[in-house]
Amino acid sequence: MLQCIFLLSDSGEVMLEKQLTGHRVDRSICDWFWDHVISQGDSLKSQPVIASPTHYLFQVVREGITFLACTQVEMPPLMGIEFLCRVSDVLSDYLGGLNEDVIKDNFVIVYELLDEMIDNGFPLTTEPNILREMIAPPNIVSKVLSVVTGNSSNVSDTLPGATGSCIPWRAADPKYANNEVYVDLVEEMDAVINRDGVLVKCEVYGEVRVNSHLSGLPDLTLSFANPSILDDVRFHPCVRFRPWESHQILSFVPPDGEFKLMSYRVKKLKSTPIYVKPQLSSDAGKCRVNVLVGIRNDHGKTIDSITLQFQLPPCILSADLTSNTGTVNILGNKTCSWSIGRIPKDKTPSLSGTLVLESELERLHVFPTFRVGFKIMGVALSGLQIDKLDLKTAPSRLYKGFRALTRAGEFEVRS
Amino acid sequence: MAPPAQSQRSQSPSQPSGKSEVSDLKLQLRQLAGSRAPGVDDSKRELFKKVISYMTIGIDVSSLFGEMVMCSATSDIVLKKMCYLYVGNYAKVNPDLALLTINFLQRDCHDQDPMIRGLALRSLCSLRVANLVEYLVGPLGSGLKDSNSYVRMVAVIGVLKLYHISASTCVDADFPSTLKHLMLNDSDTQVVANCLSALQEIWSAEASTSEEASREREALISKLVIYYLLNRIKEFSEWAQCLVLELVTKYVPSESSEIFDIMNLLEDRLQHANGAVVLATVKVFLQLTLSMTDVHQQVYERIKAPLLTLVSSGSPEQSYAVLSHLHLLVMRAPYVFSSDYKHFYCQYNEPSYVKRLKLEMLTAVANESNTYEIVTELCEYAANVDIPIARESIRAVGKIALQQYDVNAIVDRLLQFLEMEKDYVTAEALVLVKDLLRKYPQWSHDCIAVVGNISSKNVQEPKAKAALIWMLGEYSQDMQDAPYILESLVENWDEEHSAEVRLHLLTAVMKCFFKRPPETQSALGAALAAGVADFHQDVHDRALFYYRILRYNVSVAERVVNPPKQAVSVFADTQSSEIKDRIFDEFNSLSVLYQKPSYMFTDKEHRGPLEFADEIGNLSIGEATDNVVSSQRVEENDKDLLLTTAEKEETRAGHSQQASFGIDDLLGLGMPAVPNVPSPPQLKLNTKAALDPSTFQQKWRQLPIALSQELLLSPQAVAALTAPQALLRHMQSHSIHCIASGGQSPNFKFFFFAQKYEESSNYLVECIINTSSGKAQVKIKAEDQSTSQAFSTLFESALSKFGTP
Repeated sequence: MLQCIFLLSDSGEVMLEKQLTGHRVDRSICDWFWDHVISQGDSLKSQPVIASPTHYLFQVVREGITFLACTQVEMPPLMGIEFLCRVSDVLSDYLGGLNEDVIKDNFVIVYELLDEMIDNGFPLTTEPNILREMIAPPNIVSKVLSVVTGNSSNVSDTLPGATGSCIPWRAADPKYANNEVYVDLVEEMDAVINRDGVLVKCEVYGEVRVNSHLSGLPDLTLSFANPSILDDVRFHPCVRFRPWESHQILSFVPPDGEFKLMSYRVKKLKSTPIYVKPQLSSDAGKCRVNVLVGIRNDHGKTIDSITLQFQLPPCILSADLTSNTGTVNILGNKTCSWSIGRIPKDKTPSLSGTLVLESELERLHVFPTFRVGFKIMGVALSGLQIDKLDLKTAPSRLYKGFRALTRAGEFEVRS
Repeated sequence: MAPPAQSQRSQSPSQPSGKSEVSDLKLQLRQLAGSRAPGVDDSKRELFKKVISYMTIGIDVSSLFGEMVMCSATSDIVLKKMCYLYVGNYAKVNPDLALLTINFLQRDCHDQDPMIRGLALRSLCSLRVANLVEYLVGPLGSGLKDSNSYVRMVAVIGVLKLYHISASTCVDADFPSTLKHLMLNDSDTQVVANCLSALQEIWSAEASTSEEASREREALISKLVIYYLLNRIKEFSEWAQCLVLELVTKYVPSESSEIFDIMNLLEDRLQHANGAVVLATVKVFLQLTLSMTDVHQQVYERIKAPLLTLVSSGSPEQSYAVLSHLHLLVMRAPYVFSSDYKHFYCQYNEPSYVKRLKLEMLTAVANESNTYEIVTELCEYAANVDIPIARESIRAVGKIALQQYDVNAIVDRLLQFLEMEKDYVTAEALVLVKDLLRKYPQWSHDCIAVVGNISSKNVQEPKAKAALIWMLGEYSQDMQDAPYILESLVENWDEEHSAEVRLHLLTAVMKCFFKRPPETQSALGAALAAGVADFHQDVHDRALFYYRILRYNVSVAERVVNPPKQAVSVFADTQSSEIKDRIFDEFNSLSVLYQKPSYMFTDKEHRGPLEFADEIGNLSIGEATDNVVSSQRVEENDKDLLLTTAEKEETRAGHSQQASFGIDDLLGLGMPAVPNVPSPPQLKLNTKAALDPSTFQQKWRQLPIALSQELLLSPQAVAALTAPQALLRHMQSHSIHCIASGGQSPNFKFFFFAQKYEESSNYLVECIINTSSGKAQVKIKAEDQSTSQAFSTLFESALSKFGTP
């Protein structure tokens, strides 16, 4: 089980230390860790689970903050990693973002939260709803409230009701004047297009996000028009398994506020919304680059924020690239980024120019990979469609809203 | 708190240097201590915050202990929390001062607010000062009976903390049995889960000294408890579910219908949003079905999709942990994943440790139907910016080529690599072509044509150079200018730094000489002369040896140096299958991420909950004897696969406190708590006998053979003996323990020992079983010779019951 949790700043300074068991972990472990990270070049490059001479370390890096946990016993690795991810989620939720200052300003709250999230090295509760009832977030509302009422404590006097209930994710009995529930389909398309222009892999990872503000104990059912296209699904604990198993219907009592109801995967898609055609030809120490971008399938929705990024190979001395649409930037680390935005009606965006190779090189041997970004509002590219959302014992005024969004995930075009 | 050295590090000019600020704080706190003025809590809070922030950045503020405690008489819960935090941090170094805090903490334990009761109790137990334990028992006792589940939950963990401070106090207060009662009856699942985790830890630690505790520990994995927990599994928090699932993996169902019931019940856990739950469930499924081959296959099919989704959905850290587990499964059952190979394609942005895992998986899942696409994909990585990955990809192509029957297309790709004019690509490809030729000599014609075009000057890496030279020697009759290339290499002998290359060069020149003597003679002379003068011992010796054997007889030399070779059919695997099996047994643990079983990287004292006695049975027959004789050596050499029983005994006795909730019972894995010993009345055996291998070995040498006999095994017994483990468990239930075992069907070898009840008289047994003949050779040695016959009867009867239900 976890013995200690440290929060480190982006310069390796220990911002917070929480000992969890009787086996005190000396701070010097952080120095070892930081040296290790530096030797790896970058904290993102070092493995999430490392063996130090004395401890096994789990690390999760979020917004420059390293969450480091130590243990000396065998334990399920995902338990350590998942827990740290939750800690970072909860903290960023509580503090409205993560950075060094916000953690230093609110370290008492961080201690309080950790105290309730883990005891003796074993995770207790990481449900934001329950934590919120035990420890009030330091937001403006509660600050104002404390000034007005004169009660400066940021801890509620009562214990959360939900700790005892069998719906641990739901706060006890919220009341709303306007009952609203919003369902968002958010999809990310991962695709790989190889050197010959063949689509080798194309799949969508999607999430159903729900934002619910409903009074009492609402019982919702959500169904899809075409659930059979889903390859694999994962659910929030609130989803009942049987109705899904028998009829592919999501039946659940939602947590209050925003949450991820379900995630899914749709494999083996046949096409991508846009195409990217890179051409590189090298001759006598120079390489001609020409990249075309265009819309392949018209979904009837505009494709927004199209970007293209690629790393220039190290053997390139200089690059001269221009485009007919959007802007091209070459950053210090030889990353070239071309932001196109929307594709204009009258022309096909193209990027062209020459790369100058190192003196002894005739031809380019290492080819860049183009990473594509885009966003399409109003459509889920997997084709998944929501059929209907019902509420048992619907209140008099209920507003239901649906949205869909697809963006590029790991969308790569090799040249 | 942090040692002074650390505190200096964090002192930037803007931060307080420590001393003066601390004494300043001291003064201010003292002023506030007695004050009851309005708003005093706010100013206290500011001060407390400062103290805690100093503490956090590593300044020693322990000198404020007295003042902090004085100020802690307050109703403000945030102040209380900060004070608890402070006290918890410094109590251990200031045990005398800690006594001061006991009073107010005890008072808070009776507060009206359950939150304060809980927090106070948690802090009280976190003081961890040994001479204060007497003050803990009362509050803990009432905490366990508290009407609020939050307080009970804290109290349960408090009991565990107390146990670690003073085990005897905890046991004397009868807390374990209270916890057991709570576990089976409490309405709050978090309380139940905490009880489970506390009891596992306490009973595992106690089991080495108390028979009752080890019985209780066994009872945790009894049908009653397991079913009770499983039936409530959906009520548990996700983390508690992991705990329960981990326990379930240790449960041995009595019949197969139970296995299906459990799997049906847990199936939806595979769809849980928390990856830790999914992985724990996967482990349960895999462990339950280990002995049912068909179902085990279906389980792989079932868990495939959830695992693949986990990889693509989580953060990079989570993906990596899942991918490591997937890697393990892919290596075990590549064919199950062969249609999902696209999931193992590398993405540009992935860190190289992830890419490396994926490359290995791609290599493993390649089969007739997907090889073309996989190799095409891998070839694209060869032009990757990340050079180490590019190299690995080429190696992966080579590995695939070596495991395929139809290598036609792959050879072309490899030859294309050679023409890519990229030095590292050429180097890797050369090594591969060499391996390929060793396995498929029929391809030599195509390969040699391309290899012949490579200028040896462009090849610098020793391994690649050695490969090229080997080919020059081996195929010198097909390569027009082989002798001349070799000659020029010999001329540059002094510039060649790698001894490996020089060795290869010597041999290649020899081979070339046998095939084309007139052209090579001068090069051979130069090479031998340079070799004999070489400062490297091996090169020198080889050159001298060649020289002498040539002088003796040239045709003998040819037979020695260049005999007709057989194609290599299988290249040796780097990791033994036993180690892989062992890592599999430790599924869902760090072992999988490190790709080593835990004994290879975890300190003995920290070995986790995943040790199984039957895993010592992984050695071959030959080693079995060897092991017993040289167990001393084995113990020193922790790298050895063999984990001796002695080490485990040590682990349990010495460090079981840290060993968390291990149910690593050596003596009765999955067996009923009290084995019904069907022994004749005159001889009773000690059910908990212990003997370490070195003593066993010593005694085995000293004692004469008391009895030697051949027993016939029943057909059922033969059928049941598929692996040594099966018999071990059976014999354990008859109080006959195994100290070493090994072998593979049909030959097994075991060393058993047993101890007379309430006497330290030992019986040692060597038992060799041949399942094909159904015979067992038994040699018995006894310290008490008079009872050896009785023991023999007992052993025989125990053995005869093996395999009968």
